[in-house]
Amino acid sequence: MIKKAVKTGRKLFLPFSLSFSRQRREKARRATAVLLCTLLILSLSSCWSRRELNTLAIVLGTGLDVGDQPDTLKLTAQVVKASAIGSGSTAKAGGAGEKAYVNISYTDKSVLSVLRGITHMQSRRPYFSHNEVFIFSSDLAKRDMAEGLDAFARDYESRLHADLLISKGKASDILQGEAALEKIPARQIGDMMEDQEINSETAVVTLRDFSIATLSGSKAPVAPMIEVYESGGEKHIKLEDTAVFKGGKMIGELDKSQTRGLLWVTNQAKSGVKTLDTRWGQVVLEIFDSNSKLKPVKNGDGTIRMELTVNGDGTIESNETNEDMSRLENVEMLKGLMKEAIRADIENALHQARTLSADVFGFGEAIHQEYPEEWEKMKENWEREFPKIGLNVQVNVMLHSTGSLTEPVVPGGGQ
Amino acid sequence: MTLEKENISSKELAFAVFCFIHGTVLRSGFIISVTRNDSWAMAFTGLLFMLPIVAIYAGLLRKFPGKSLVEIDDIIFGPILGKVISALYLFFFASLAALNTRDLGNFVAVHMMPETPIAAAIAVFLLGCVYTLRKGIENLINLSTLLFIISAGALALNAILVLKEVQPEFLKPLFRLEPQKYVQATVSVTAVPMGEVLAFTMLTPMLGKNGKAAKPLLLGLVLSSVSMAIVLMRDIVTLGPLVSIVSLPAFESIRYVSLGDILTRLESVYGVILIILFLLKVSILLYAFVLGLTQMLSGKRRPLSNPGHEGQASGTAQSLNSKNHPPLILISAALVFFYSLFVFESMMENKNWGATTAPFFSLTFEFLLPAVSLLVACLRKLGRAREVKA
Repeated sequence: MIKKAVKTGRKLFLPFSLSFSRQRREKARRATAVLLCTLLILSLSSCWSRRELNTLAIVLGTGLDVGDQPDTLKLTAQVVKASAIGSGSTAKAGGAGEKAYVNISYTDKSVLSVLRGITHMQSRRPYFSHNEVFIFSSDLAKRDMAEGLDAFARDYESRLHADLLISKGKASDILQGEAALEKIPARQIGDMMEDQEINSETAVVTLRDFSIATLSGSKAPVAPMIEVYESGGEKHIKLEDTAVFKGGKMIGELDKSQTRGLLWVTNQAKSGVKTLDTRWGQVVLEIFDSNSKLKPVKNGDGTIRMELTVNGDGTIESNETNEDMSRLENVEMLKGLMKEAIRADIENALHQARTLSADVFGFGEAIHQEYPEEWEKMKENWEREFPKIGLNVQVNVMLHSTGSLTEPVVPGGGQ
Repeated sequence: MTLEKENISSKELAFAVFCFIHGTVLRSGFIISVTRNDSWAMAFTGLLFMLPIVAIYAGLLRKFPGKSLVEIDDIIFGPILGKVISALYLFFFASLAALNTRDLGNFVAVHMMPETPIAAAIAVFLLGCVYTLRKGIENLINLSTLLFIISAGALALNAILVLKEVQPEFLKPLFRLEPQKYVQATVSVTAVPMGEVLAFTMLTPMLGKNGKAAKPLLLGLVLSSVSMAIVLMRDIVTLGPLVSIVSLPAFESIRYVSLGDILTRLESVYGVILIILFLLKVSILLYAFVLGLTQMLSGKRRPLSNPGHEGQASGTAQSLNSKNHPPLILISAALVFFYSLFVFESMMENKNWGATTAPFFSLTFEFLLPAVSLLVACLRKLGRAREVKA
């Protein structure tokens, strides 16, 4: 019965299908095997779209500038020169002074046409999977961020993990800075960004963070700024200040104190050092393990204010005075000074944000999440509403220890 | 052809249902663009909406135990109309197979091998499905326990590893969108990943006469709605507002995993799991199509699966070997191959179809036709009740 059913099916659909005898089937199988082997030999020439290491230009950093001609972009890709990296850490052995990177620049109308344009000049195609930093020049940022942001976020090769920075001068100059401890400037910047949490004075922003902030509508995206400075005839780079964006354009900056304030509010300040001026001289506190919580609260009259609670844990790191800072009343005094310093940073940042009318703290998002109904009314003219939002700051500071000394090292202190 | 025998257990069937749905959950992001940060809840409302549909399938399968959907149609609507209805189901299975094949092809062509023509990827993939079916569908279903462990493990691993990057406040504000959006997303969840379990009504005869089909189907659906909620929630808290603009949220959020700069780039795990799950899914759809076609063509001469009637037939088919598969697999795979090549011109068209037409298209076959079948069966007093009387 089954066979019959199969047969019916085959008769209907496979009229020339196969009722081979056993011998012929064996032959057919052998022929297929030979054919398959022949076909498989072809695949020994390896993959179709393979890209070997020696045909890739591995990009570690990308800089975007305004081009010389109108409506053009200049892209600088920092490419690793693998042969120069292998030559020991001092680089003396394998060709002294040979740089381990090449900066390739090209100018064209758009990011992708630049990337394809690079193939006019180089034997290898740029490969962006390992790109660590994107640097936009502030000139470009003040015009428009959209082009570069979309192209890099959309491209499958690059990753949203990469850090985003704004250069004070030209982005291509940043990528030429002298990286004393590293071989490649882009690498230096990438590693530097990882260490910024111990000073809490730089807003570390990845392509993802920036895209999320841009998408939010109410929040003003921020990005750290980087600049070139000269020392001893060499050009070096340093991180300083924070760029503030609105409507896809850079509209202003936050200085060091304001950046600290921003990080306190957005719970990004984890650790840092505070130098306090006391009656007797300078005392330095180290803060570690701090956190903050921002919460919108409804006032009696229906308006909304923000409540910020900052918790900081610290120790006394250095005491330049003759006074014993382990005495409890002095500890209280230091805590008071510390609170004041944190509060001053936050006030400073708030003032600047209000001046720019840019919601760098994400007040709008917090209100949207907690009071969606009120937010519906506010969001239309958020730009005018934002400067009116009050911020109450509550700072709690704990001083845990005085380090490995209790009393200061002073002349004659041991007697 | 007596293909259906008591050689899968209901537990394996439940896991197969899970794997079947989980592939689509990982692949598609269109629900998120509708209900944004509340999408995770749609996994549960979708399940609720799915319950009556499962009840209809269960009703049909209980009335005609040991029969597949196509055979049931023949009994309910008679040989002519029954064939027409079965042909509609077959069209649906073939379409789903083609759409899913295309989905996978797009993933491979866009994310993994941009210079390889999509036809090459699809051809290799379908050959894999053909091979699987030639080795016997029951083996694939038996494997589903393993696939369940692998995919659930990968899901848990990815969710845990990405915890460092998440911002739970992205889930807020809860449920602030217009109500019709939730209805739209619920219908989408029901129709697109969940309702496709209709294909399993072609497999349930393999459970044997005493096997209850409703329980494993339901268990599988509950498992997959939980996993869907986890996937969607993970994507939302990792990507925030980005989630509704990226083309593949699950892929993008897994790209975020970075444990001490060592355990990174886990999207390869995602790729492997996606391909395995789609292999299972398309194999099952293809099997449903091929088996339905065989049963339709063989018509009344087809031996009943009831061993009491045709003891000899089931005896012959007991010899479990590679011949235990329906004919026409290769031809059907070729059909799906060409169908999937011309089904959509672009991913944009695919997305548009998924957001607008797909739920209605799917619900016609998943809900309307079975409901009408059950109604007619009840009115004509067909099924088990009459058998008992006779």
